[in-house]
Amino acid sequence: MSEQMKCKKEKHLKKDDMLNLKDNINRFDDLKFNRRAFLKTAVGASVALGLSTLPFSVKAFLGDFEDDRELVEIVKLEDLPKGSSVTFNYPSEKDPALLIHTKAGELKAYNSACTHLMCPVFYEEESEVLLCPCHQGFFDLNNGHPIAGPPQRELPLIELEVQNGVVYAAGRKIRHG
Amino acid sequence: MAKKICWVIIFITLALNVVMLQWTIEAYLGLEFDLVFRYTVIALVSSAIALITLFKWKQVEYQKEESAN
Ligand code: FES
Repeated sequence: MSEQMKCKKEKHLKKDDMLNLKDNINRFDDLKFNRRAFLKTAVGASVALGLSTLPFSVKAFLGDFEDDRELVEIVKLEDLPKGSSVTFNYPSEKDPALLIHTKAGELKAYNSACTHLMCPVFYEEESEVLLCPCHQGFFDLNNGHPIAGPPQRELPLIELEVQNGVVYAAGRKIRHG
Repeated sequence: MAKKICWVIIFITLALNVVMLQWTIEAYLGLEFDLVFRYTVIALVSSAIALITLFKWKQVEYQKEESAN
């Protein structure tokens, strides 16, 4: 009797095993539901990414629209001969900036915090480039774009106006061509 | 076939939204607010397309199952 039962039990076990190994009736469903879940996750991710752009727009809309168009005096032009530079702060006291009178007679101004790790950038008169001494970063004097070294982004451009021989800062562009 | 197209559309929107998020952040840091708005609108439209496509896909997928049963 007991022998028979044991046998039955084993039989049952065997059947179960075979079910798992050979006739896996769930396999198709497994695949199908995985595929469905995957697609739903992809849609969820896409929507989440799309929605996460929204806070930036809201923030941009709510603030930061102030137009710093008022003129800030920097220096008298006669105090700035060609090939020289002067430092000032713009638009706030915390933003160091550099005004350069190039040898060609142009006026250029940029925020002077290096876009790599914020070291101050200097005007190098002989080669007419902007140099960051910290990690040998170089910027183009004409447009503030990085030309060598670690910096990747351009220096913020400060728009200038000259009235009655005085140079004024009249605005700032962080991205510029 | 329709289902395959749905998959493709959804993955295109996913890729597009990754790019839009990156561009939005860059434009925001560069204080180019008109670009921020533009990218947000594109991202939202593409999210909507993803959702609509999902519903379309669901329709086809589950309809097929019902008819199979
Ligand atoms: S901080 Fe200017 S190059 Fe590194």
